[in-house]
Amino acid sequence: MQQQPPKKKKIKVPRVVDGIETMVEIEVDDVEGPVWGPNDKHTLLNHHLPRVDGPVKVSGVAQYTYDQRLPDMLYARVLQAPHAHARILSIDTAAAKQIQGVRAVVSATDEGAPAPRDAATKQPVVLFAGMPVAAVAATTPEIAEDALRAIKVKYEVLPHVVRAEDAMKEGAPKVESGGNLEPKDKRGDPEKVAADLAKCEVVIEAEYRTPIVHHASLETHGHVVDFRGGDTATVYASTQGTFTIPGDAAKELGLPQSAVTAVVEHMGGGFGSKFGIGIEGQLACRLSKLAKAPVHLMLTRKDEFLFAGNRSGSWQKLKAGANRDGAIVALNALQYQLGGVADGSQAGQPYVYEVANSFRERIAIHTHEDGSRAMRAPGHPQACFAIESLVDELAYKIGMDPIEFRKKNLKDPVYHRQLDRGAREIGWERRNKTPGGGAGPLKRGMGCAVGTWGGGGNNQCKVDVTIARDGSVTAAVGSQDLGTGTRTFIRAIVAEELGLKMNDVIEQIGSSKLGRANASGGSTTAASLAPSVKDAAVKARLAFAERVAPLLGGAKPEEITFFGGAVRAGERSLPWKQACAALPAAGIVAHGEWVSSLQASGVHGVCFAEVEVDVETGHVRPIKMVHVQDIGLPLNRLALESQINGGMIQSLGMALWEERVMDADLGIQLNPGFGDYKFPGALEMPELVSIIDDEDTREAVIGVGEPALIPAVAAVPNAVYNACGVRVRELPITPDKLLMSLMKEAKI
Amino acid sequence: MKAFEWVSPTTVQEAAELLQSGSTARDMDEHARPIAGGQDLLTTMKEYVTRPGRVVNLKEIKGLNRIDGDARKGLRIGALVTLAQLEEHAVVKRSFPGLAEAANSVASQQIRNLGTIGGNLCQRPRCWYYRLEEAYCIKKGGSECFAATGENKYNAILGGGPSYIVHPSDLAPVLVALGASVNVTGASGKRVIPLEKFFTLPSEGSIRRENVLRNDEIITEVQVPASAFAAHSTYLKFKERDSLDFALASVAAAVALDSGKRVTEARLVLGAVAPIPWRVPKAEAFLAGKTLNASLMAEAAKLALEGAEPLGKNEYKIPLTQTLVRRALAKVGGIKT
Amino acid sequence: MADKLKPESEAEKNSGHNPSRRTFLKGVGVAGAGAAIADHLLLNVEAKSVGTEQAGARPAAGRVNLALKINGQKRNVTVEPRTTLLSTLRNHLDPPLTGAKLVCDAGTCGACTVLLDGKQAYSCLVLAVDTVNREITTVEGLGSPENLNAVQKAFVEHDALMCGFCTPGFVTTISSYLKKNPNPTLAEVREACKGNFCRCGTYPKIFEAALAAAKSK
Repeated sequence: MQQQPPKKKKIKVPRVVDGIETMVEIEVDDVEGPVWGPNDKHTLLNHHLPRVDGPVKVSGVAQYTYDQRLPDMLYARVLQAPHAHARILSIDTAAAKQIQGVRAVVSATDEGAPAPRDAATKQPVVLFAGMPVAAVAATTPEIAEDALRAIKVKYEVLPHVVRAEDAMKEGAPKVESGGNLEPKDKRGDPEKVAADLAKCEVVIEAEYRTPIVHHASLETHGHVVDFRGGDTATVYASTQGTFTIPGDAAKELGLPQSAVTAVVEHMGGGFGSKFGIGIEGQLACRLSKLAKAPVHLMLTRKDEFLFAGNRSGSWQKLKAGANRDGAIVALNALQYQLGGVADGSQAGQPYVYEVANSFRERIAIHTHEDGSRAMRAPGHPQACFAIESLVDELAYKIGMDPIEFRKKNLKDPVYHRQLDRGAREIGWERRNKTPGGGAGPLKRGMGCAVGTWGGGGNNQCKVDVTIARDGSVTAAVGSQDLGTGTRTFIRAIVAEELGLKMNDVIEQIGSSKLGRANASGGSTTAASLAPSVKDAAVKARLAFAERVAPLLGGAKPEEITFFGGAVRAGERSLPWKQACAALPAAGIVAHGEWVSSLQASGVHGVCFAEVEVDVETGHVRPIKMVHVQDIGLPLNRLALESQINGGMIQSLGMALWEERVMDADLGIQLNPGFGDYKFPGALEMPELVSIIDDEDTREAVIGVGEPALIPAVAAVPNAVYNACGVRVRELPITPDKLLMSLMKEAKI
Repeated sequence: MKAFEWVSPTTVQEAAELLQSGSTARDMDEHARPIAGGQDLLTTMKEYVTRPGRVVNLKEIKGLNRIDGDARKGLRIGALVTLAQLEEHAVVKRSFPGLAEAANSVASQQIRNLGTIGGNLCQRPRCWYYRLEEAYCIKKGGSECFAATGENKYNAILGGGPSYIVHPSDLAPVLVALGASVNVTGASGKRVIPLEKFFTLPSEGSIRRENVLRNDEIITEVQVPASAFAAHSTYLKFKERDSLDFALASVAAAVALDSGKRVTEARLVLGAVAPIPWRVPKAEAFLAGKTLNASLMAEAAKLALEGAEPLGKNEYKIPLTQTLVRRALAKVGGIKT
Repeated sequence: MADKLKPESEAEKNSGHNPSRRTFLKGVGVAGAGAAIADHLLLNVEAKSVGTEQAGARPAAGRVNLALKINGQKRNVTVEPRTTLLSTLRNHLDPPLTGAKLVCDAGTCGACTVLLDGKQAYSCLVLAVDTVNREITTVEGLGSPENLNAVQKAFVEHDALMCGFCTPGFVTTISSYLKKNPNPTLAEVREACKGNFCRCGTYPKIFEAALAAAKSK
């Protein structure tokens, strides 16, 4: 039978570059593929599955990149510039090289060193305090630290600017030759908006700010580069993209890409900051090449704060008008994104809201600060905080229930149902009817907010499922598990398809020698990988069925069922292992490709928060948070609940505590450590309720790592307002700000 | 951390001599340092804020890890007594509750298991600028306090200038309130220093240090006298983040009450608002002879913050500390608010 | 070494671009340079042993031989006095123990928590030389994947971990705490965990797991 080439169809999918997703059009086969079946009919998926890497992680034996120990391995450290803007005149490494135990030193003045250079003089330049200027490798971490301090760098210090307001001023030191302001996008007719605003019954004009915040992944960026001068190298990397490593590393090592293997066995968090080898990987490769020995270069915590990226800050000037019936009529939004030497990101206003007439302009303001990187839902929490605060302000000014006001301006019925669900769960009717009302210094309040995300996948994952003659089953793909539960869902999909238990399947991931996979950014991992795993598992099942059919009385392969550790046809059944004995010596290997119909894109998500404000101290105590998330087919409810909790908690941190603090004159970050960069701990935790919105019956996988984070950053501030009657428009809402606002507005 | 030599003497005298002979460097931040729990010292060494060439381990010295005494005799607390020991000690909890609360308020169980009372009193400031090696500030031998005009939300509103650090110790305000003193041994002898005279303002003592200890001196014991107010003592600590944080402001309060619930004597000491534990005698005197009530406590709170001069970003500390004073007084006075 | 804390470079002083207090930024690169080299001369000193028998007023510098008791075993290791227990476990022991994680290196996150004589300690804030004669227990000493302790088991069942980098610290902290308080309330568990930080956001599940582990005993 001659096979017709399958028909093709064009679809749009997200591609992640440096953690930022952009939509691209691709062509896929337009054929009937495997299906997941109804979401409530699964035996493993959509259940609570303990993660399969749990035992090795709780006992400390899981090998992270940081934990790699190789024979003759050297420890590397990075020297940073203390100045925000400078030219490097010279770097003297002679004394460092003399220290006993030091094996290699590289610096920004080396030939071909990875460093920005002055266009005219070709001298390396420093563009932010903390920029790497040299690195050393030594036999112990302690010696490496000594060697750093023996390096003498001469700088010509140049004027700098680290505040957006200062960067906008005429004559401000230039961060980029083109100027510090870089227009990004402009949409709408400002004059028409102004005219409409003039006619509005209720107008709010306000500025909203969010600070630069940090990923603060517990495992810092870094690599162990195992290159001893031969033809091949292995790079252990703490990365969100196994396959983003070999190309970058090969370039530095002078090897063909195919000669470099990337390994990502376990990974201690990334949140958008870990793609490619980065400057730290380049330095590690150079040191390894020079020393002809494996080099362990993991950033220190301070390094991590100073040059491993951050979430861009925002400064948004919004003016919106509504009618008394609650319809937002017009919005003017000037959106500054504060990404340091990078562009930053910000979702365009009016974000998810449907505003009859809006104008927005997004402008990047550059400063002498480390460039922002993608961070869990890049650009969304910033936009969400501003618009959701503004929407709240309009609702209160009109005197409408904030939920009703939102529904009025959100056409999508999913939001309506999620708002109702969240309101029920938190007990919205108990909220403070008058913001700031109630007796005593402890005042409780509630707030809500909504968000949106894509979460679809793309066609980059290639998975092999092998069934061996001894009954063992392996699913192999080079993808990485950031702590999101990738390993667990791979196993679950295959086990469910073959009617096996979780422990009957082994997953192999985290190596560039295995099947290709996409980088984990933009919540694209699950929707990219799960369909490929499913495809491979289905193919393995069909091939297996064909093999064992003769043993089941010549049943038709498609009639053979797999469940309970056995294969069955009619009355006949065979235990799994026995059936496997019929396989050829090489077993069965099935190759899976992405099937677009097994995934979908486009989710909502609402968050409700209840807080208690001590109006005499400015202390905000989170009481309860609820997040409702649509997701299509939940692969693993347990891991999902955790991921949604995590999103709420990170968002809560951004709302109440986290910020990078810069000294404007010195141009340095003042809080580059976990004692001073305060993210939430055990005592900050409210009661957390993660709700998977099962009314979303799409039989398709969607990633929700990012949307889980978005709305809480606005729900919490809105709850603070409801509690105490003071609107803080600049995050984080720390006691100093809140208490002074309370004093100024005479609420105490 | 800079390399150093490690030495474990077994007597106080040996320790003092080792500290003295290890303190010849030109810069005092390179002088020998004693280590007990090391929970603060090692953090300053890791950031190269202190760079001792010799570290003198005190933990091999016998007899410094005991708590003796009771409500009647007062307490004698060895300098190596850990914060965990202090917070769990039955006599301390019952008869010196403010001290137990203060010990319990420190950082985390991990820190309290190793951190000692001596180390807590001698810990270095948390000022961002001081803690960053890059910022060569007045505390480290430079000429300027960057916090004065820079990012100063955590800095002093009282007693500041030319440095605006705040003293980070949680035990110090309570111990000052309770009239404690420290026994100190140096190479050339012993002395007893009332804790109130132990801490120094930057305008008075060495700007590089927070107390009168010479480099060869170590605290060997803290003495807390018996008093009529120790049993009615409390420590309120307000943190920006409840988990593992230092105080934005704190208050130690202690009152002696007569049978008619009248205050016969009051002690009020503010923490984290000044370079030293900040006793407020005017507010104490105001309370004496009066029966606590809401308006009286509010008045005392105002008096306690009299003279506060906020910097650009720490004005909030005034109302915040006033709140803590009111609440601390209400607590020790048994008044429901 | 008197110039160690001065602005390091002539270029900076003469650049004319320093009207502000930026001149006070210290060049990290230069500070301690001389010191570093001088200190390394000490490496030539023969490694000395530090133990009770040698404890005393004889300074130990350079490298020292230590006999540590880790997870019930005697482990010999040679380190410098400045080497932290954490670095010793992870980088100097052969074979290493990498369960305790280096995250903040400043006693502010709890990922390196080990038990010293059964009590929680930040191993990044303890010098190895200071742990001779103490019972050191790391997460590896509490249980293995095949034989998890009650807390570890509960962590897996309740999904009290995501990336897992904070997990060893929480496991040691809670395992020790439950010995002291076998029937804690939720509030007590939270208080016991306040020196441990997680970035993925597993706290609610960690609390659940701790309470479940307490019940299971």
